[in-house]
Amino acid sequence: MNPNDYLSAALLITGAVFFLAGTLGLLRFPDVYTRLHALTKADNVGLGLMVVGLAVQAESWSVVGKLLLIWWLVLIAGASVAHLIASGALQRGIRMWKP
Amino acid sequence: MDNSKTSWPSILVRASLFALIWSVLSGGATASWWIGIPAVLLAVIVSVALIPPTPLVWSEILRFAPFFLQRSLLGGTDVAWRAFHPRRPIAPDLIEYPLQLQPGLPQVFMVNTVSLLPGTLSAVLEHNVLKVHVLDRQKNVVAELKALEQIVARMFDTSLNIS
Repeated sequence: MNPNDYLSAALLITGAVFFLAGTLGLLRFPDVYTRLHALTKADNVGLGLMVVGLAVQAESWSVVGKLLLIWWLVLIAGASVAHLIASGALQRGIRMWKP
Repeated sequence: MDNSKTSWPSILVRASLFALIWSVLSGGATASWWIGIPAVLLAVIVSVALIPPTPLVWSEILRFAPFFLQRSLLGGTDVAWRAFHPRRPIAPDLIEYPLQLQPGLPQVFMVNTVSLLPGTLSAVLEHNVLKVHVLDRQKNVVAELKALEQIVARMFDTSLNIS
């Protein structure tokens, strides 16, 4: 393994930890709004780290470009869908959890 | 019309962005441009029809990028910590934030970015008021939203009108 592979592995494993956190939040958080927080933010960072981790190993610039394109599209989709779900939930009168 | 004069640069920027995306997708194969050029042209036409060309300040976009990367990393770490913590420390609240940005693209951009910042989620946008769900009411979210709003206004070269 060369140094690049170690860097790539570290980034991929850290990314996986964020995906785990997103899923854990989805299971542990009490209502739809807090669960959306966990999903959008943790998965965004998890995917970002995986994209960088894979880009380190990429053989050409077009592969790096494709990976960044995927991240960007997921970012937009995640943020706008989270907003739509939250606004739909509020309009249907789904109460937010309070401690 | 004065309008058409200002929109050409931004149409050119869009065309080069779409061309860049095509060259990334096709892996730079020369023959692929027989399909690529019509596809890019169609994409430009559709994008101009859907979103009217707006002037963008590129130096401000370059300044937005590190801000966004840093905040989203912080936001992910923050929510991950709360998810892993045995006592699950959250104290959610819903706050109302009156937007001073122009309706349209600047507001949409702001709404989407807010959901990726630490501890905030855009819930409803109505009559220029954004309802934001916050994960921890102890945090000073309003200052963060104000800072973001100012950056977005500079990116789209618009002023914040006092409502």
